[in-house]
Amino acid sequence: MRFEFKFPDVGEGIHEGTIVKWLVEKGEEIKEGDSLIEVETDKVTTDIPSPKSGKVLELLGDEGEIIHVGNVFVVLDIEGEASSEDVENLSAAGGGTKDSFDEADKEKKLDEKEEVIEEETAGVVGEVVVSSEEIPPSDEGVISRKSTEEKLSKKALATPVARAMAKDLGLDINSVEGTGPGGRVMKEDIQKAKDSSKEKSQEKIQEKPEIKREAKPLQLDEASEGEGLYERVPLTRIRKTIAQKMSESKFTIPHTTVMDEINVTELDKFRKKYKDILREEGVNLTYLPFIIKASITAIKELREFNSSLDEVNEEMVYKNFYNIGIATDTQRGLMVPVIRDADKKSIVEIAKEIVDLSTRAKDNKLELSELQGGTFTITNYGSIGGHFGIPIINHPESAILGLGRIIKKPIVDENDNIVVGKMLPISLSYDHRIIDGASGSRFVNILKELLIDPDMLFLKS
Amino acid sequence: MEFQDYNPLEGKMYEVMNKDGKLTKKEDLPDLKKDELLYLYKTMLYTRVIDEKAISYQRQGRMLTYAPNTGQEATQVGSAYAMEKGDYLVPSFRELGAWLVRGVPLKNIYLYWYGNEWGSHMPEGVNVLPISIPIASQFSHAAGIGMANNIKGENNVAVAYVGDGGTSHGDFHEGLNFAAVFNAPVVFIIQNNQFAISVPRKKQTKSQTLAQKAIAYGMEGIQVDGNDIFAMYNVTKKAIDKARNGGGPTLIEAYTYRLGAHTTSDDPSKYRTDEEVEPWKEKDPLLRFEKYLREENLIDDKWVKETKEELEKDVVATFESIENKSDTEVEDIFKYHFETMPPQLEEQMNDYLEFLEGGK
Amino acid sequence: MANKLNLIGAVTQALENELAEDKTVVVYGEDVGVEGGVFRATAGLQEKFGEKRVFDSPLAESGIVGTAIGMAINGLKPVVELQFMGFSYPAFNQIVTHVARMRNRSRGRYHLPMVIRAPYGGGIRALEHHSESTEAMYAQIPGLKVVIPSTPYDAKGLLIAAIRDPDPVLFLEPKRIYRAFRQDVPEESYELPIGKAKIVKEGEDVTIVAWGAMVRDTQAAIDMVKEKGIDPELIDLRTISPIDRETIVESVKKTGRIIIVHEAPKTLGLGAEIMAIVNEKAFLYLEAPPTRVTGFDTTFPLPKGENHYIPTPERIAQTIEKVVKY
Repeated sequence: MRFEFKFPDVGEGIHEGTIVKWLVEKGEEIKEGDSLIEVETDKVTTDIPSPKSGKVLELLGDEGEIIHVGNVFVVLDIEGEASSEDVENLSAAGGGTKDSFDEADKEKKLDEKEEVIEEETAGVVGEVVVSSEEIPPSDEGVISRKSTEEKLSKKALATPVARAMAKDLGLDINSVEGTGPGGRVMKEDIQKAKDSSKEKSQEKIQEKPEIKREAKPLQLDEASEGEGLYERVPLTRIRKTIAQKMSESKFTIPHTTVMDEINVTELDKFRKKYKDILREEGVNLTYLPFIIKASITAIKELREFNSSLDEVNEEMVYKNFYNIGIATDTQRGLMVPVIRDADKKSIVEIAKEIVDLSTRAKDNKLELSELQGGTFTITNYGSIGGHFGIPIINHPESAILGLGRIIKKPIVDENDNIVVGKMLPISLSYDHRIIDGASGSRFVNILKELLIDPDMLFLKS
Repeated sequence: MEFQDYNPLEGKMYEVMNKDGKLTKKEDLPDLKKDELLYLYKTMLYTRVIDEKAISYQRQGRMLTYAPNTGQEATQVGSAYAMEKGDYLVPSFRELGAWLVRGVPLKNIYLYWYGNEWGSHMPEGVNVLPISIPIASQFSHAAGIGMANNIKGENNVAVAYVGDGGTSHGDFHEGLNFAAVFNAPVVFIIQNNQFAISVPRKKQTKSQTLAQKAIAYGMEGIQVDGNDIFAMYNVTKKAIDKARNGGGPTLIEAYTYRLGAHTTSDDPSKYRTDEEVEPWKEKDPLLRFEKYLREENLIDDKWVKETKEELEKDVVATFESIENKSDTEVEDIFKYHFETMPPQLEEQMNDYLEFLEGGK
Repeated sequence: MANKLNLIGAVTQALENELAEDKTVVVYGEDVGVEGGVFRATAGLQEKFGEKRVFDSPLAESGIVGTAIGMAINGLKPVVELQFMGFSYPAFNQIVTHVARMRNRSRGRYHLPMVIRAPYGGGIRALEHHSESTEAMYAQIPGLKVVIPSTPYDAKGLLIAAIRDPDPVLFLEPKRIYRAFRQDVPEESYELPIGKAKIVKEGEDVTIVAWGAMVRDTQAAIDMVKEKGIDPELIDLRTISPIDRETIVESVKKTGRIIIVHEAPKTLGLGAEIMAIVNEKAFLYLEAPPTRVTGFDTTFPLPKGENHYIPTPERIAQTIEKVVKY
């Protein structure tokens, strides 16, 4: 096993010595206690005995050269494995693990050789680190302090109490104007800043008249409440969102609703004709894809139905894309997945997508993006039941089409005969601020035209 | 006389004049002119009057703590009179006679005991260090002053004082040792007044004499009758001359007695009897010198009376010149810690001044 | 002309310059003469300036300082060496009762232009009493200046300033870095102002005050946190007393945060005073509690334990992160 013997501190704070004479030769077998070298230090000239028995592998340094305490100067081949003591011995001075030691020590040796020339012994007690590392020259008088004035002006003066208070209230204290001595931000200033930021946000909301109302706790007869007549269940997150969205829409948009019935007897025939064929392909062909197609044709013609009102900038925002939201009932509540670019999709494609979206909505597997970006919404409450309704617009869209349950009805045909017709009740709610009643009626007329006669639908859509 | 003739290990004590004012060593009578002798007497008397008045003022509540010198006037005046211009006096705190000889104005002395640092502001040319209360610490200052003289090639001498209690201190040893090692021109005087507050001299050291301690440092030491002005003068003069001529330091043990209390806060009756004090009263250095001067027809009753009255007048006038007029200036508390006041000190001073102004 | 010196070499050169320029400067202490001092700070000086001006003294710290007082009164400028700060206590009485008081006591009649040099601090695997940092004990003494350099350049400039100072200066040398690195140092004499700290590195996020060997360890810590986007400002105090309050306070006003790093025990260490200054002068700017990284309130451990005691770059870096994230 290789043993590296480092030039030891001979006990009086010696940090280096000059090699006077090697007393052994390379390849020589030596015993512990045999003198290896004669070294002259500042204080003494002394022999250094070997701490181990073994064969001399290397003698590092020539006579006349200076060696430093901690530098390897003799390498021996000794018997046995490295003991923990040896490892400690190795790492203590070299500062590395046994494995990394050789490299580290070599580097150290090289380093120190360069400055050996002038380095003196370091002390009488202890071991002062000796290194030739050079640090940059002093920049005394060179670095002049940057003026802190500018920076200071941005920093708030405040007591820790005030800082903590601002932090708690979510305010950046540096943005609060201080009215205390020397512009110090006082607790009152922070309170004021907080209040005014509340006011500001309230002012904004007040532009939307519906938020004028303040929510008040629902007052119940406490005595009876205690008797189990009421059950208070906290709202789910989705319910809270629905409630908020509905309020937002209803209180922001002055709704008006136009209702009508459309004779879809022919459309039904057409649908039935292909329904079974398509079922084999896994497609459930309902009325809805037809209605979507018809609606797109209508909103393409009447652009305001595919728009939003920018109240603040007082602008109409028309959308040149057609993403149709389909209000879907799920266990957790109403969701509105969106069929993107429905104008570019075939009826079959739309049919497929409806199934996919509604299934995943029910399984709560929709991506957030699939619930966003709608431009017009259709709600098919009729699939469960109901004739007419007053659908609430999916804010910030401008209109929503409600579909009632298709029922057979006696109708008067062109020849004044009473026939059985399949009637689809529709309820179109729209933003009356931007859509006049006439447009609403025109919209309905277009739907009628397209849904009564499927050929027309295909011609125009 | 020669120091070696008074080997302290042999218990010899140097004396020129006995307690009755008779010369026991006529050949050693110092060569002093009449006015010099009168000056010495007058200064010893001055010392006595200053003491008496200070104690009186203290008892009247007009003076703070005071350390009296009564009984040690010959030690102080005799040794200091051997000093020359440029020599340094390094006091402990009970060297009134020496300070007066070396030119410290009474006003300074009273100011110091009155509680104002300006008391230690010696006039230029008066090489007297401020009182050093940390016992014996001043011995190495004296050694340093002497070492500096050697380094600079000047031939001034430092004369340092310590009490018998001070000889127990480490600094006593270090000061003597440094002075001896560096052959510094220093005269160390122990005023052995037999008490360190209440602790008698024999409890300070098992050494037969204090002077013999010099031997360990390789310097000469001599025990002197400290109540004999001539002996004190001669021995100190010899030691000073030796030091000035490169002979190194000397240790003088002035064998004397503190007739009064340690300070005005001390009651000696707790640790010593009147019977013990009585014989020392007979050895009173002032009386002894007076007897000699009367015998030599240098003074008479009239002279003594008039001189005492004159000194008393001076002492009263000096005290009154400082009484009630010596409150410390606030700025002075801050101003003298460094040549340039650091900002924090300046701020503390200004804050306090502002407080004082606001309080008016 | 500049020469590359380590800290101890810079001390030697400062002494050499002043011995040559001012005939009243004398240098002495235990082993200072022939041997050149236990750390070789005075190596070669006796040969050059003779035994009268550079000499060995008896082994007595009180005597060394006490005689220096006498010399200073008598017109010399003594520069004495106490071998280790841990051996300064026999001289403590002289320092407290006389060195620091002579000017005030005598209302300026006497002043003491003297320097007491002492290596201080741990990390050299030494015996007991050879490793401590009790600078705060001395910093509290009115009338005494306490200076601690951290680089060769500063050591020379500050020591020369100390020697020329009309008042007494305790000059503490961080022995761990005596030979740890070299720096360009002008060969000629120059002074650095006592009482002025140095901004070693400007930064925005936190002010760190350190001195002596801790400056270097703090720089290492700063390198460690740099990767995390933290940019501390490092102040080398350089003068322990009187503290340069202005530099510290101005820095804290900028950063809003302060960390003090010292080797000395935590309780009543200088860090406490610096925190107090910051509280008094920059209270309204603080965004985090002033914080200390220090040795412990324990006796300095013997070599096998000393690495636990001295603040490491890692400990400092962790504290920097904590304070910045506060």
